[in-house]
Amino acid sequence: MTEETTNEKRGVSLPVQIAIWTFLAALLALVAFGLRRAQNPMAEIGKPVPQFDLEYYPGYEYNGTAKMSLADLQGKIVVINIWASWCKPCEQEAPDLEEAWQFYKDGGDVVFIGVDYVDTPAGASEYLTKFNISFPNAPDLKSNISSILNRQMGVPETYFIDRAGVLRHVKIGPFSSVNEIKSIIQGIE
Amino acid sequence: MFAEFGYGILVVSFIVAIYSVFAAVYGATSKSAAMVESARRSMLLMFPLISLSAAALIYLLVNNHFEVAFVYEVTSRSMPTYLKVTAWWGGQAGSLVFWSWLLAAFASAVTIRKWERDIEFLPWVIVICSTTLIFFLGMVVVFENPFTRFWLVNGNVEPHMFAPANATLFTAGDGNGLNPLLRHPGMVIHPPMLYLGFVSYVIPYAFAMAALITGRTDDRWIRLTRRWSLWAWLFLSFGLVLGGRWAYDVLGWGGYWGWDPVEIAAFMPWLTGTAFLHSVMIQEKRGLLKHWNMILVILTYALVIFGTFLTRSGVLSSVHAFANSPIGPFFMGFVTLSLVVSIALVIWRWPMLRGETEMKSMLSREALFLLNNLLFMSVLVICFWGVIFPLVSELFTGQKVTVGPPFYERATAPIFAALMFLMGVAPLSAWGHSTIQTLGRAMWKSALAAAIITAVLFATYTQNYIALIGFFLIALVLLVTFQEFWRAARARQRAQSENFLTSLTRLMGRNRRRYGGYIIHISMMLMAIGILGIEIFQKETQGSLKQGDQLDIGGYTVEYRELASWDDSGKGVNFTRATIDVYKNGIYLGELNPRIDYYFDSQQNMTIPGNRSTFRDDLYVLLVDWQPVSSMGATFKIFVNPLVNWLWIGSLLFLVGIIFAAWPDRDPAEEPVRVARKANQTSAAD
Repeated sequence: MTEETTNEKRGVSLPVQIAIWTFLAALLALVAFGLRRAQNPMAEIGKPVPQFDLEYYPGYEYNGTAKMSLADLQGKIVVINIWASWCKPCEQEAPDLEEAWQFYKDGGDVVFIGVDYVDTPAGASEYLTKFNISFPNAPDLKSNISSILNRQMGVPETYFIDRAGVLRHVKIGPFSSVNEIKSIIQGIE
Repeated sequence: MFAEFGYGILVVSFIVAIYSVFAAVYGATSKSAAMVESARRSMLLMFPLISLSAAALIYLLVNNHFEVAFVYEVTSRSMPTYLKVTAWWGGQAGSLVFWSWLLAAFASAVTIRKWERDIEFLPWVIVICSTTLIFFLGMVVVFENPFTRFWLVNGNVEPHMFAPANATLFTAGDGNGLNPLLRHPGMVIHPPMLYLGFVSYVIPYAFAMAALITGRTDDRWIRLTRRWSLWAWLFLSFGLVLGGRWAYDVLGWGGYWGWDPVEIAAFMPWLTGTAFLHSVMIQEKRGLLKHWNMILVILTYALVIFGTFLTRSGVLSSVHAFANSPIGPFFMGFVTLSLVVSIALVIWRWPMLRGETEMKSMLSREALFLLNNLLFMSVLVICFWGVIFPLVSELFTGQKVTVGPPFYERATAPIFAALMFLMGVAPLSAWGHSTIQTLGRAMWKSALAAAIITAVLFATYTQNYIALIGFFLIALVLLVTFQEFWRAARARQRAQSENFLTSLTRLMGRNRRRYGGYIIHISMMLMAIGILGIEIFQKETQGSLKQGDQLDIGGYTVEYRELASWDDSGKGVNFTRATIDVYKNGIYLGELNPRIDYYFDSQQNMTIPGNRSTFRDDLYVLLVDWQPVSSMGATFKIFVNPLVNWLWIGSLLFLVGIIFAAWPDRDPAEEPVRVARKANQTSAAD
């Protein structure tokens, strides 16, 4: 037992105890919330991607509108690239994505959409300027897209959706070349 | 056959673990030595049992039993045998078995030791270890069974443990293969090291809980576990360093640490573990901070479990995350249980954990150690906040805000600087009492020399003030530490009339923990040199080169010579390798071969840098892209990473330091009891 006998044996006061337990309960509730989100079914290859809407960053538009809805893009191949300005591997693939977009954009058959995952507007704008990205880009507000696609891994990730709105391919990690992007798109046609 | 055997054994171990908890609790409460002994024996049975199950799993992995879902997911025919064995921890289900196996090994090692003097701890240590084991085995038995097999049921392939009605076993021709990123020597040992670190922190926690439950809250539990915690710290540190080296070699972004949530999840118990290593000395020497040490041990264990939970359940997005898994709620339940029980116990025993004396001086060594602990806790709070902030923000505002590397770097850099300063000051302060004058007398020479070094660096190397502050602190700590070695060895040399080297080695041998600690401080400073170098002075460029074209960066000239591409069907890999010549000031230095490996089985690329490493800087070249005909050109990304080699040199020295400090010299139970009760103890009397 302890050596102390003279000191008064003060325990933890009730307010402190209440604070500790409240903090613990709040923390656990928060994690439970994250867990529930993580339990949503993941977008599966071969299955239709659920509908979602996006509002592009200022200065971006596609077909004359600054908003997009996945449903409106039916009939086109949709390439959704998830990135972030703090993501090093994203920088590696950014020029390739832009080059691939330049190749496809006039055909009107393939749409590239950049989705910026947990980022600051300033960081995003700097990144988009640095790599001269011209395909439409939007922030992943409320991580909505991430939860629809139920992403588990880090950035970058790229999702290829076919003309019927079915998820056909997921690339995790950066592309190593323009040709890699093109060959995936060719595989979907 | 092997699958049923392996699973059966897992179920048996699960039941034995449950039994050992009940036997231990019953034995402790009814004072039945026989029951406690029975619990101890069942605890000892766990390791051989889980080993058998693991052997069955390894047999299936090595022999291409692709009817087993786990084997199908993580191996392929083209993988060499050693990778098939290490694929054991390459997926969720297998790594949970691996975790359980390590925990059983450690728990057995603990139960074998002599318990005569601490017999009241034994049942409760068994309860904590077994409960943790029940939980991990439960996940494997119920949710993530590595022995699940594929069955053909009405034309569909379904995974089941046992044959459903009208089903036949389905065997795939070849497996998916291990993620190529994981087929790296660093990756082979990085996860086991981290797991070892994680698992070994269960033991100090078990003793802490036993101390709280039995009410024997003196230093005994600390004396019994401090070497455990040193080894645990060794494994955890080594795991973190290996992960950094692996990232540098394989991930191809020229970095070693990305502040990824899972990296942070492994870093957080390291922070509390490091704080504990320091504060435990205060309890041993001065009888202070008993509450705090208890909280640190609990926190470390909680962070280990919490970190594993975050990684495994998919709550956080991360490159390290395992695929979506049903274990989340179950894991959550265990996290809740262990936190609630630990906190309740601490609150219950709070009055028994009071310190024996009080702090007398704000500059005494114990006060500086306390400050060190507070700084570590601040880094922990920043990390923790960064990890859960996306959840908080999403819950309350619906917006996610970046918590990327810039946040962590900006928030933690000043704290790390303060920690470095403390590393320079604390070794000079005395237990009990120090003043500005005594510290100043001990420090001024080193501080002056460090200032001169900084001035020279200002004149010759850099004008970046952050770097200069960093270099000043590094120089200060190194000089103070060397001075400490010098001063103590000289004093001993005079007293014992030995030669200097004999004095130094004997001195270090007598005070392993102290001088091991100093070696670790020196290694930290070497690592800091590397980190400053790459964080502040890293240069990068990217360019497409035709054959014979040159590119200049950071004093180097690189020239693209040729490109070759070939298939190695035995390994199932296509290699594309560029050859570039490196010159510096017109002098030819050699060639580099950055390459891209394409793995057919998993259809994934791996970018392997060509790296030329010197003490001054690394030239780190990545092959980004190439034209079909090699003469047409290829694109390279080139980094010059100044001083980064010191990070790895420091890491090696760091291991030397920990092993030196943790090396068993005598039974810790036989060590002399606290020596420094007097107030004006000098630091040399450590």
